[in-house]
Amino acid sequence: MKKITDNIPAAFKKAAFLFIILFLLGNAPDYGDTIVIGSIGEPRTLVPILASDSSSGAICGLIFNGLVKYDKDLNLTGDLARNWEVSQDGFEITFYLKKGIKWHDGAPFTSKDVEFTYKSLIDPNVKTPYSGDFQMVKNLEIIDDYTLKVYYKEPFSPGIASWGMNIMPAHLLEKADLNTAKFARNPIGTGPYKFKLWKTGERLELVSNHDYFEGRPYIDRYVYRIIPDTATLFLELRAQAVDYTSLTPIQFRRQTETEFFKRNFQRFNFPSFGYTYMGYNLNDPKFKDARVRRAINYAVNKEEIIKGVLLGLGRISTGPFIPESWAYNKDVKPMEYNPEKARELLKEAGWIDLDGDGILEKDGMKFSFTVITNQGNDERRMALEIIQRRLKEVGIEIKIKIIEWSAFVSEFINKKRFEAVLLGWGLSLDPDMYDIWHSSKTREGEFNFAGYSNEEVDRLLLEGRRTFNQDERKKIYHRIHEILYEDQPYLFLFVPDALPIINSRFKGIEVAPGGIGHNFIKWFVPRSEQRYTR
Amino acid sequence: MNRLTVFGIFIVGFFIIIAIFAPMIAPYNPGQMDIENILTAPSGSHIFGTDSLGRDLFSRMVYGARISLMVGFIAVGIAALIGIALGAIAGYYGKWVDAIIMRFIDIMLCFPTFFLILAVIALLEPSIINIMVIIGATSWMGIARLMRAEILSLKERDFIYAERAIGANDLRIITRHLIPNAMAPVLVSITLGIAGAILVESSLSFLGIGVQPPTPSWGNILSEGKAVMGAGWWMMLFPGLAIFITVLGYNLLGEGIREKLLR
Repeated sequence: MKKITDNIPAAFKKAAFLFIILFLLGNAPDYGDTIVIGSIGEPRTLVPILASDSSSGAICGLIFNGLVKYDKDLNLTGDLARNWEVSQDGFEITFYLKKGIKWHDGAPFTSKDVEFTYKSLIDPNVKTPYSGDFQMVKNLEIIDDYTLKVYYKEPFSPGIASWGMNIMPAHLLEKADLNTAKFARNPIGTGPYKFKLWKTGERLELVSNHDYFEGRPYIDRYVYRIIPDTATLFLELRAQAVDYTSLTPIQFRRQTETEFFKRNFQRFNFPSFGYTYMGYNLNDPKFKDARVRRAINYAVNKEEIIKGVLLGLGRISTGPFIPESWAYNKDVKPMEYNPEKARELLKEAGWIDLDGDGILEKDGMKFSFTVITNQGNDERRMALEIIQRRLKEVGIEIKIKIIEWSAFVSEFINKKRFEAVLLGWGLSLDPDMYDIWHSSKTREGEFNFAGYSNEEVDRLLLEGRRTFNQDERKKIYHRIHEILYEDQPYLFLFVPDALPIINSRFKGIEVAPGGIGHNFIKWFVPRSEQRYTR
Repeated sequence: MNRLTVFGIFIVGFFIIIAIFAPMIAPYNPGQMDIENILTAPSGSHIFGTDSLGRDLFSRMVYGARISLMVGFIAVGIAALIGIALGAIAGYYGKWVDAIIMRFIDIMLCFPTFFLILAVIALLEPSIINIMVIIGATSWMGIARLMRAEILSLKERDFIYAERAIGANDLRIITRHLIPNAMAPVLVSITLGIAGAILVESSLSFLGIGVQPPTPSWGNILSEGKAVMGAGWWMMLFPGLAIFITVLGYNLLGEGIREKLLR
């Protein structure tokens, strides 16, 4: 007894001491150090309205700001805008901009920059994939340097979120041709990091913006290394020459469970904002019949793909929204794996194996098609090999063709030269999916390359854009979800998990519904652990 | 025959037998997946382990031998056909025919072959047949040059004059007398060419633009192995060794033939 009472004050002192240290650490993060990101892809351009790949997007997101952004809980909040108002009828949005924000070159940010960005977005000579949302704008009016009004042709609910588009500096670009501007490799923004250098095929470097309007970021330098091979990237990570990258499922499950990785790295997994699917060319006579597409859905075992390819790190997807979204209809249940039912449906649709070679025929045509996918994505290849085996069991033969990315997009997808395609969509948070599903969006280079056309969906898509009330929109998108799952223009496969890994010297990382990037400027490295001190 | 040649013959024969009897040798269907047993290390039931879809690696390697050898033989067969024909024509007719064909060969030799193949495959689509044809169509120049050189000296020999004297036409002289007598160095080149073609196929498959899945080839198994290097050493070791040993075998055999025939 005595011993214990004796010990209490000592233990208490120790605890109090530790507490004070922790308090100090937690309270005053240190500035300094460098974060090295490892990426497979290289940005294509740093003109934000032209950037459509994820690497360009990641870098632009640090250099630029939009008027609004999503916070960690996926609610819209102001970014360059302090506040905004939507008129009763939904035709007007008024933005009030924050004052005192400066571009990296010292010039003040004003509503002129917003107007310039808007005009560039709707300029037919600018090759931007983001014009769609802004064509709904009738007119943009500058009230004063820090107030502007946007008039819409009709109420347009994704309108506010669309102003998350990164704003570009008018004073630097007004006279430039955006498609060829030098700005693409030497951008000036308002964001937390300033551009420093870009060595093609090797690295980009950014340095922190000490005057950033949300406060100076703690990490001084941001290095984006381009390492176009997952295995090499992993070796660099293990050598601690890369601090932050994404793991493949096999790396997550089999290669980073060691003591070394547990000590030196922090891993995360949460659902990514996107889904992987097999899309059909609906103009192909084989896929015209919805029964056939439903049969394929019954014949493919999605659970097996998630287990085999993602090693369990993902979820079944039944529709075009992420399962966390309010637009996702939880009542749409995935069709079970049932090859018997698949065979029945195929038979109903007239596909019968007449010559006994194990492959179905109809009107003298064999049920055999080629699925294309892009090179460099092992998960997609493996998923296809599993699908191939399952479809063979019901009498459908598929061939796999893997094509290098740029030829894949320009020669095959845009020109619709495919029978079926395995791909993924990255999603924005607003459920408006007009560009992907509306029957008018089937021209070359547009996103409805499957050629889907359904009058009810067309109508609902337009209605969804015109409605501001989230409960009403919810009903609309739930119905779209139902129809799409019934129609099966895509074979919806899975939502993979994002699997980032970060060196454990970085503190302050917070997992939220929006992922981990939302508070990047608050990440820090305690002085004693800083690695890159110049 | 020296011992290395015997060793070469043994290796080449060994892999040819494996390729021919693949269905009997492979313990599993090479496409049979087992999601429960992904990337398991070599053991009694899977002597080379399993791949990232749980397929038996040994069975895939055995079937992969078929692809590799088939690509080797057919690609070189195509190269030999083109090379022998053009070389013989150039050597026999001489003058401007020779000049044109030889300049064409010089042009072909100027291209870095591998990049030419990459470019062609980007335009066409990757498939076994395309790969064999492209490799064949870009590797005949050495054979043609050897053929031409041999024929240049052969056509001045007495037996050719005799043949002409009794009225044989050009086609008969070339196919019946010149080519068979000029085959020795070409045969060496062909044997070494098979090794080269196997390497090119493996490289293309390794880059993901060769033989398309699910067909196994040593190159694409190796490529899959690279992605899981830290989690499955067997995925890189076995196909790597197989390619290495096969290429060694053909090289030894080629050297052996050279020594035997050209002494």
